[in-house]
Amino acid sequence: MRTIFVAAINFYQKWISPSFPARCKYYPSCSSYAASAISNYGIRGVGMSLWRLVRCNPWSHGGVDYAVKPLKIAQKTSVGVN
Amino acid sequence: MNTILNPLYNLVSGVIIIFHKLLTPVFGKDSGVTWALSIMGLVVLIRIILIPLFVKQIKSQRALTALQPQMKAIQAKYKDDRQKQSEEMMKLYKEHKTNPLASCFPIIAQAPIFFSLFTVLNGIAKNVPHGYLKGEYLASAAQAKFFGASISQSFLGSSDTTVKIVTVILIFIMSATTFTTQRQLMVKGMPKMDSSNNMMLQQQKIMLYLFPLIFAISGVNFPVGVLIYWSTTNFWTWGQQFYVIKRNPTPGSPAYEELQRKRARKAKLDNRDQSGTVIDPTNPELGQNGQEGDVKGQRKQPKKKKKR
Repeated sequence: MRTIFVAAINFYQKWISPSFPARCKYYPSCSSYAASAISNYGIRGVGMSLWRLVRCNPWSHGGVDYAVKPLKIAQKTSVGVN
Repeated sequence: MNTILNPLYNLVSGVIIIFHKLLTPVFGKDSGVTWALSIMGLVVLIRIILIPLFVKQIKSQRALTALQPQMKAIQAKYKDDRQKQSEEMMKLYKEHKTNPLASCFPIIAQAPIFFSLFTVLNGIAKNVPHGYLKGEYLASAAQAKFFGASISQSFLGSSDTTVKIVTVILIFIMSATTFTTQRQLMVKGMPKMDSSNNMMLQQQKIMLYLFPLIFAISGVNFPVGVLIYWSTTNFWTWGQQFYVIKRNPTPGSPAYEELQRKRARKAKLDNRDQSGTVIDPTNPELGQNGQEGDVKGQRKQPKKKKKR
């Protein structure tokens, strides 16, 4: 199940996202965040990702916000540019 | 699922009905024009609501000029580490409480609205009421014609030649507007990318052609009403982008350089007698006219870049 989610996100990052201008206010981007959150926390990660999407709104200032502390995700899933 | 989406059905159908009521005295209750314009009205309303967000984003993008030196420093410091670079960039934005990026939520939030519209319009075809679109309205909408094609019919769902022609034309418009909008942004609206982004550029190019194709394939399942919605929204996006690229382009993009040249030429002509620098006369404007001033103020930036 996790793999399906992460695969879908990777597909989005590789094929859909590049055709639009960068838009995410955070680092890592919402999609990278979601990929690492879901692969690490499963269903809880889905909730985290949704909450992150809500936080990534026009009134937020963004910033650096990892789903998992950087040390753990040295082998990252994918490099989301936006 | 329905309990979550019901408010959205109400919203979408409510707005359509309100526009329908407003337009009935002009075009008649059962006219296809009334129904088509009601759908377009929904698009226009949604896009007008989104304008402030768009303006806000553009403004914070332009406000970035002040951070330019720090941004350059970050870029130089983490030249070889793009991840670290964007991380530090985000930190900088957060520190200064400005963020030039559009944010993800508004785009995600539009998806349920589109889905609801799809369901509501599909409901017309299947004679299933959703939200306020029921009873006499449902019957009236079901028979409404857009250039001779029922707005509830789709390419695959109908054997009527008129429906096929109208849907094909609408799908074509949909794909063409998506294509030109994306192309315009890629060619003129985006800052030039360095070679490390070549891969991304390549994907963008593929998507440029793939997206219209995807629309064309999925479009055959969409009722005429949905196609009207989509075409209108594409036209709006295109027009909005055209305006921004012309009047207020992203710093670093080809359109921006074009505008700079145009302004420089104009400024030169204006100040020929004073023989002053080009920048001087624009400075007082900074206070009076925020947006114009911002853009003009940025003229200094290329010079700074060169020095460093």
